[in-house]
Amino acid sequence: MRQEFYKTLMSPVWLVVLLLAVVVPPLLPSYYLHIVILSLVYVALASAWNIVGGMAGQISLAHSLFIGTGAMLSTALLLKLGINMWLGLVISAVISGVMGAMIAWIDFRFRLGHLSFVLITLAFAEMGTVIVEGWDFLGGASGLLLPQDKGDFLAFQFGGGIGAFWVMLVLAIVSILINVAILNAPLGYYLRTIRDNENAARAIGVNILRYKVAAMVISAMLSSVIGTAYVRYLTFADPYLLVSPIIIIEVVLFATVGGLGRAYGPAFGALLLVPLGEILRGKLGGTLPGLHYFIYGVVVIAVILMTPRGLLPLFEKWFSRARPKAATTK
Amino acid sequence: MTITRREFAVGASGVLLGSVAAPFVRRAGAADSTIRIGVVNSMSGGLAAYAQEGQPAFEYIIKKINAEGGIKSKGGAKIELIQADDTSQPARTATEARRLITEEKVQLLTGTILSAQMLALTPVLDELKMPTLSVWAGGARSNYMFTLGYPYDRGYAQSMHDFVVFLRDSEKFKIKTAVMGYSNYEAGQQVNKFLHEKLKASGIEIIGEAPLDTKAQDQTSAMVRIRSLKPDVVVGLVTPRDGILLHQARYNLNYHGSIFCGGTGGYSDLSLWKDLGPEIGKAVLTKNLFGMTGFSPGAKVDSMQKIITELRDVAKLDRIGQGAIQYAQAGRVLQQVLENSASLDSEALLTAFKKVNIPFGDPNLYVAKPKGLQFAEDRLLVDGSAMFIQWTPDQQQQVVFPKEFAQTAPRPRV
Repeated sequence: MRQEFYKTLMSPVWLVVLLLAVVVPPLLPSYYLHIVILSLVYVALASAWNIVGGMAGQISLAHSLFIGTGAMLSTALLLKLGINMWLGLVISAVISGVMGAMIAWIDFRFRLGHLSFVLITLAFAEMGTVIVEGWDFLGGASGLLLPQDKGDFLAFQFGGGIGAFWVMLVLAIVSILINVAILNAPLGYYLRTIRDNENAARAIGVNILRYKVAAMVISAMLSSVIGTAYVRYLTFADPYLLVSPIIIIEVVLFATVGGLGRAYGPAFGALLLVPLGEILRGKLGGTLPGLHYFIYGVVVIAVILMTPRGLLPLFEKWFSRARPKAATTK
Repeated sequence: MTITRREFAVGASGVLLGSVAAPFVRRAGAADSTIRIGVVNSMSGGLAAYAQEGQPAFEYIIKKINAEGGIKSKGGAKIELIQADDTSQPARTATEARRLITEEKVQLLTGTILSAQMLALTPVLDELKMPTLSVWAGGARSNYMFTLGYPYDRGYAQSMHDFVVFLRDSEKFKIKTAVMGYSNYEAGQQVNKFLHEKLKASGIEIIGEAPLDTKAQDQTSAMVRIRSLKPDVVVGLVTPRDGILLHQARYNLNYHGSIFCGGTGGYSDLSLWKDLGPEIGKAVLTKNLFGMTGFSPGAKVDSMQKIITELRDVAKLDRIGQGAIQYAQAGRVLQQVLENSASLDSEALLTAFKKVNIPFGDPNLYVAKPKGLQFAEDRLLVDGSAMFIQWTPDQQQQVVFPKEFAQTAPRPRV
């Protein structure tokens, strides 16, 4: 695991990413910087979800509960009890981890099939929505408005724009590196074994409960932390966005289009689809409302039909075909 | 015709390259004599009804202003509208506003902007200092946001409270107890909080709550709860969809033991009859029910009657309800702001917003405001009051409150 992980960590690609991160954001107009930040939020969320959904093959829709906990609870703790948002982030992440462990235990205890797991997690997500909308402490249906971000790091403020970009970039990279680490560690092998054949995995002695709980806890805590950072960027904690199952359906879509179960697949999907959706809406939404949904849908359907395993495997295939040719022409 | 993978890849690359190149392509600049107004509306999604009704009226008023010589104090500058769709999602309202301000270089912003969208928009407006007029928000948290919506407290809650007290004290209806029946979403909850307190302070006992689940397909359980509590009055803010389901449940249970009064769309929208059908409409809308509204075709307000006629006969609009009138009013408010503003920079426009004054009797005052239209210190309307109507069996509205606009007295309880 270490060798592969450190190989990835030492890759020169990160230097290019760092260089781009330093040079490009100050040049970008505010709107396009926002799209970049939004893309990084979804890169992080899709990569976090991939640990459970891609590697373990458990299509969890409960992740909106974890994102929502990170966003709404940390905001409420700050606004209602004066608890610093850094501490709120930790509290929310721990609570999300515990909820994740509970869901994984329920899955193990009742041996839920794929469909049952999806439905159970959807029910958890809906319960979360009902609780937030009905509980004044969490802002109810009106949501909560955070104080203006003045860049006070100790108060979990990053100054908006470029500051938010760096926070989201770090979270996106951390999420991807966690994916790389897990994929190349025993946990990754166990999760893939469970995904491919749970009964066989059990028969050869894989501790199903342990690894399912581990995957869900890591994924839930990471989602919660991203939720807290995302709400700080948005400033308005909107329950209809942050606790709604719609957010996780988008995340599942990005991961599927990019390539499920791969370290970079979900990130790839988010980096393609988030800007595409935003820019299409910006260009067409005002004059031809609804058309952007149609075009977006057609692109997604085309991608899924052409490459059911996701775009990343397709690109890898093209790349590997092109490389020997290049070698022989030399 | 078949599309090869190569052709698809070329096309897709074109779309993506276009997207990436977009920020670096300079927009052809608008003429100096044009004032660009960004309009963020929910043209698709769950809230699309507001803009679908209001936008044509807004465009008509703007065209009319342009045709009559534009903004005279700015050398006859014409108004250009730049539209955006937020797909009914508050986070996207903020994104689209950012795009309109930074990419399209609009000088003012307006749009449906309900309360959740207003909150999402607040940090963007504060950051980019963009004067904005919301057509419907019940609050304004940014210093740059003004709204024509009813304030939760002195608008919705106060109007409902005043009407209930009017029924009790002036019309001698027996009203001692109330159940709060409201759509359980952000505006419904906010109004409920204020209304609850006001009714209690006026000696009306609140004996229960019947929040309406906005995702429910049926409101029978809420109506059964109301029937079991049998209050004298059921009051609250109800959306059109929840209103339809509530009235259907009332019809199915044949319940007439309480007076139902509330607003706005769920009680007074002109489309209620169409959705309920004439039989259910006649059975429930015309009995023990009063609806809050800012607009009624029968209201005794000359300027309102004139704009209704104009929108129907000249603009040829087929949907003229509260949404259309509210948007038309927004057009006139923006006209006054632009006329009175010393320049088109943010601070000057902000000052002009603070000085908006369309007095009662002015032909440009389309909404029913006995004290005229001005913005208070909190950037909400000074006069947040509304009217109450009752339905007649021939699907018409009669204004019953306040006295200034009333056509008739409230129908006695059945």
